[in-house]
Amino acid sequence: MIMNESANPNPLFMPRTYLTTESNKTGSWRFARPRYDEKTSPCSAACPAGEDIARIEMLATQGLFKEAWETILLENPFPSVCGRVCFHSCEDLCNRREFDAAVAIHSLERFLADTAIRYGIKPDLERRTPRKQKIAVVGAGPAGLSAAWFLTLLGYSCRVFEASEEAGGILRWGIPAYRLPLTALRHDIKQIEAQGVSILTGKPVTAEMLEALKKDFDAVFMACGHGLGMAMNVPGENLKGVGEGLDFLRQIRDGQTPACNGVSAVIGGGNTAVDVARSVVRLGGKALLLYRRRRRDMPAFDPEVEMALDEGVELQELMAPVAVAQEEEKILLTLQEMMIAGEENSRGRIVPDHGKIHQVRVDRIFKAIGAQAVEPWHQPDAADRDMLRLTHTVLNRRGTGAVLVFGGDLTNATKSVVHAIASGKQAAIALDALFQEGVEAVVPRMEACRVGDGQSLSMEVYLGGERRLRNPHVVRYEEINTDHFQFIPRVTQPRLLKEERARSFEEIDLKISAQLAMKEAESCFNCGICNQCDNCYIYCPDTSVILERDTQGRHINYDYCKGCGLCVVECPRNAMSLGEETP
Amino acid sequence: MQTDVMDREFVHSGHVGCPGCGATIAMRFVLKALGEKTMMVLPACCWSIIAGSYPQSALKIPVIHAAFETGGATATGVRAALDMLGDTETTVLTWAGDGGTFDIGFQALSGAVERNENFIYACYDNEAYMNTGIQRSSSTPYGAWTTTTTGRDWKKLRKKNIVEVLVAHRIPYAATASIAYPEDLLRKAQKAKNMKGSRFLHIYASCPTGWRIPSEMSVKIARMAVQTNIFPLYEVEDGLRYTINYKPREYLVREYFRLQGRFKHLTDQDLDQIQQMVNEDWELLLRKAGERA
Ligand SMILES: Cc1cc2nc3c(=O)[nH]c(=O)nc-3n(C[C@H](O)[C@H](O)[C@H](O)COP(=O)(O)OP(=O)(O)OC[C@H]3O[C@@H](n4cnc5c(N)ncnc54)[C@H](O)[C@@H]3O)c2cc1C
Ligand SMILES: Cc1ncc(C[n+]2csc(CCOP(=O)(O)OP(=O)(O)O)c2C)c(N)n1
Ligand code: SF4
Ligand code: SF4
Ligand SMILES: [Mg+2]
Repeated sequence: MIMNESANPNPLFMPRTYLTTESNKTGSWRFARPRYDEKTSPCSAACPAGEDIARIEMLATQGLFKEAWETILLENPFPSVCGRVCFHSCEDLCNRREFDAAVAIHSLERFLADTAIRYGIKPDLERRTPRKQKIAVVGAGPAGLSAAWFLTLLGYSCRVFEASEEAGGILRWGIPAYRLPLTALRHDIKQIEAQGVSILTGKPVTAEMLEALKKDFDAVFMACGHGLGMAMNVPGENLKGVGEGLDFLRQIRDGQTPACNGVSAVIGGGNTAVDVARSVVRLGGKALLLYRRRRRDMPAFDPEVEMALDEGVELQELMAPVAVAQEEEKILLTLQEMMIAGEENSRGRIVPDHGKIHQVRVDRIFKAIGAQAVEPWHQPDAADRDMLRLTHTVLNRRGTGAVLVFGGDLTNATKSVVHAIASGKQAAIALDALFQEGVEAVVPRMEACRVGDGQSLSMEVYLGGERRLRNPHVVRYEEINTDHFQFIPRVTQPRLLKEERARSFEEIDLKISAQLAMKEAESCFNCGICNQCDNCYIYCPDTSVILERDTQGRHINYDYCKGCGLCVVECPRNAMSLGEETP
Repeated sequence: MQTDVMDREFVHSGHVGCPGCGATIAMRFVLKALGEKTMMVLPACCWSIIAGSYPQSALKIPVIHAAFETGGATATGVRAALDMLGDTETTVLTWAGDGGTFDIGFQALSGAVERNENFIYACYDNEAYMNTGIQRSSSTPYGAWTTTTTGRDWKKLRKKNIVEVLVAHRIPYAATASIAYPEDLLRKAQKAKNMKGSRFLHIYASCPTGWRIPSEMSVKIARMAVQTNIFPLYEVEDGLRYTINYKPREYLVREYFRLQGRFKHLTDQDLDQIQQMVNEDWELLLRKAGERA
């Protein structure tokens, strides 16, 4: 029988609660204070362009390919190019490396760029209100075009003068198509033009023209690159049959098929030497690559050397040319064998191994031992002490005329595409600071937009974007809570077979699918940035992480948080910090 | 896991659990899974205090504070009353500590599950009588210091294997779970909710105060208990069908022990012996799960 309690003459007394515990402000117990504190990923600090890689991979994981691609563009207008030819120092410092393998940042960059091309995506980038200053850029290589791109985003009007028939610099006329197809390069350049950069091709700037530009413009950015090969300084080097590697590559990029029958000796150990040797093979010749140090000392990117050897290039180490002579139809090349006398700057120091002289008979020789500026006035005067020498650019603002800025290969210690881009960005920021606030502002403004503790600069930070709130602390592997990650095999970059490679200039690296790309992006720890995993919310014993739809997605309720620190430890990616509680 | 399940909340802030309390995390997870149609029977334990002193409550569901030894019996009564009212929807949940489960509430629990009473019994295991000041229980592991096993008299007896005891009753569902594996825990609680008869959840819930560990490490330690096979995650249906839910990469128990003040007196030899005991238990479990001949 069910009885109604209120009808009971002696009702049962049951004490019932009617308040919640929320009147206890347990926050007063706290002596340590957790907070959301996004930090800097090591990859982004290692990227000379300072790309926000942790965020790019987070967006890619979520399938937000356009947003991921735009995040690259904020720092680098050349994703299609860099996704192919950048040496990706980011991956060398990837925290995931200590766990299993580095995230394939490079392949993902290429994937995002390809996806943008495939779907004809247009970026929605903010542009500052127009500024009155006009800037001339000399040279449409990666340095010049990047400077123009960033200056345009900063509101300036830019005009680029390029000597060649098409823009791109070494990207267009040097790096071979098997590594960088024309379509990929042209897409990035079209993108840059679409932002409002005007490029005048077939317009070499002479010394007199430069004086005129200095009058018509408020600044001139010199980015003429290193277009002139260095001399070997050995007898016979100007004989017929001895040519410049750079010229040879240029001919091929111009659509010609220079003769390559027989054996071609290629002298050097850098990118140019390796690309020349690989191009010789593709044109049906035999390539003999001669380098005066050891393979491991070669400045060329090692995977490229590896592929060159696979394709049939023959490498002879520790060989230095001493003389060139004509011998009937052939060229007689005399070589001095070198030996290692010690190590300096992690490279071998070499001396001649006396008595060991070799001679080879070849059909032609390509010199690829380095390059320099074509004209002395392309470069900043090394003796001029008044110039402002920044990490990737040199500024000269003598007198009242236009500011002259030098960048790219002309000033960079490391000569690479991404360093050229970094230089263009630095020039843009320096000029903006100079025009808006004066020369004293240049260095402090530059400091304020550094990524982490390195030299890379962030345009997003300079423009006052969200990223400026990041703590410059670079997240270390020990600061990742690896309990929340599983081992995943790294994606292997699909490639043409070496038999296919040796016969054509087709691009070697093939596309990866969206599915693979998302899986790879998912392996990223997202070092230092919140990916909304909610671990902090999940593990809080005090229900003090409150979900909300604001920018962070959640906040800490300090009325109740006891400061146990679980959220900070269980955040997989160190996007939180525990600080002292200040009374 | 449905995200909305993880997003709902039945534990108020302002409760008086210690900083980093694993038992509170366990409660949040289980109630997220069971939802608001739950009535709780709460025998004496830390949670009696955490739940609030009259007239406060830390929980958004009805709770009956019960005598220490009556978790099984009180739940039986609540279930019977609900059934009389025709309410078959509400889940009855007993929430008890290890002392209240392994020791003092044991006969009431055994009696209730022998009758296959229709309720969930969740034991949050912090391996001692914590509420009254860290006294040793039959759940306290071999090697542990407690205030009743001090100095050289640290506990030299094995922890009772409570899940196997419940399995021996052939109840429909018995499972282990850990606060460090929320998805597994929520899934098991939801699975239990959707079954009838006696269901038992043994939830590993670290205790920073009693274990002498830093508060921010409590989840990490719980995770290590699983990773070292000290506390394997598994479930048993009808007392017969064993499923091991997580196969760890078998870290050494040493790591787990070294991080906790309650074990700091143990020598390398002791740890070797403990490792052997853990290996033995794991082998036994593998055999029960049919993964070893
Ligand atoms: C064969 C080869 C392969 C390489 N491979 C790689 C690689 O895989 N990855 C990598 O990161 N780096 C690579 N590099 C290096 C990289 O290409 C250069 O560091 C980079 O292109 C430098 O950019 P820049 O803008 O300073 O100069 P450049 O790319 O040289 O561009 C300079 C531009 O200025 C123009 N110019 C010069 N003088 C004038 C003038 N007076 N008036 C108007 N225009 C003028 C030139 O025509 C040219 O277009 C390679 C270099 C070579 C040579
Ligand atoms: C019959 C009885 N004996 C003793 C007590 C005192 N007492 C209250 S809680 C508790 C310890 C409970 O231990 P456990 O069940 O493990 O829960 P914990 O406090 O560790 O969470 C004790 C001994 C009591 N309430 N009733
Ligand atoms: S794991 Fe991701 S964020 Fe971290 S270093 Fe590697 S790529 Fe960068
Ligand atoms: S735990 Fe997850 S949600 Fe919380 S801060 Fe870290 S990444 Fe963001
Ligand atoms: Mg207990």
